[in-house]
Amino acid sequence: MTTSHDLNLQKLFTQAEQDFRGDSFAEDVLKRIDRERRKTLLVWSVLIVLALAGLALLASPVFTAIGMATQLLPVSLVEIETEWLRLLLSPINSVAATIALGALGIHKFFRWILR
Amino acid sequence: MRYTSDFLARSPESVLVGLSRTGNRDAFAELMARRQAWIRNLMRRCSGDCVLADDLSQQVFMQAWRSIRQLHDADRLGPWLKRMAINMWLQHSRRNDPLRGAGEHDDADSQHKDTTSVAVDLDRSLATLAPDVRLCIVLSYHERMTHREIAEFTRQPLGTIKSHIRRGTKKLQEELAAYAEPLEEAE
Repeated sequence: MTTSHDLNLQKLFTQAEQDFRGDSFAEDVLKRIDRERRKTLLVWSVLIVLALAGLALLASPVFTAIGMATQLLPVSLVEIETEWLRLLLSPINSVAATIALGALGIHKFFRWILR
Repeated sequence: MRYTSDFLARSPESVLVGLSRTGNRDAFAELMARRQAWIRNLMRRCSGDCVLADDLSQQVFMQAWRSIRQLHDADRLGPWLKRMAINMWLQHSRRNDPLRGAGEHDDADSQHKDTTSVAVDLDRSLATLAPDVRLCIVLSYHERMTHREIAEFTRQPLGTIKSHIRRGTKKLQEELAAYAEPLEEAE
């Protein structure tokens, strides 16, 4: 034998190989796959049920909050008597506009800092 | 859609991979039937433990089933499975000291009831090697990979691989000296 690639060792590796025909290996894997699939299905079912239950419980307060926000957002910040000026400034003279402009300003500020 | 076992048995591997990717369990079972002996033998040479090898092989096929949609080239199934099997073995050996069972041959023998004596002796000798050396030897002799391929596969320098294989071969030659003569006579 030499210390390079050894042909005798190669033969031993080949002889040691087994066929494994007729045992239950593949069936066992398929059973494990089915079990895993069932477990995943069960976990998803539980999560969906919990989500639906949560939605049912929280539906009322969530809709109330949405309703309040909807009423609050168009409220004018400054009362303007003149009709045409009120209409002209309406895109920026509201709670919604203030929130939007604030978010835009913060976004630009952080981009400027991180530049 | 269900295909007959005869159709699946005659189908080329690329077709079976394609069907498995659509979630066809029977096609995957056929793929497993074709590839299981190779993967199980590889894991047995890596681990030297029949029970552990079969468990790891099952995990390899389960992982293959889960991620077969990521196999875009069906002709690459072999290398893809091999990579998965070796990674599975490396993860296992990192979690558990692979030399823990080295030298405990009496217990190991009881797990080799269905195995030939050559396999038992070979696994016993492989168990005496350091994990890195053992992996290189298995990839070289069992998978018949070249030194360069092993270096690329394990992401280790070529010189290290050559050294591992030289050292491992020498050690196996000493351990398996009894098999040297009959094999030479047989030629």
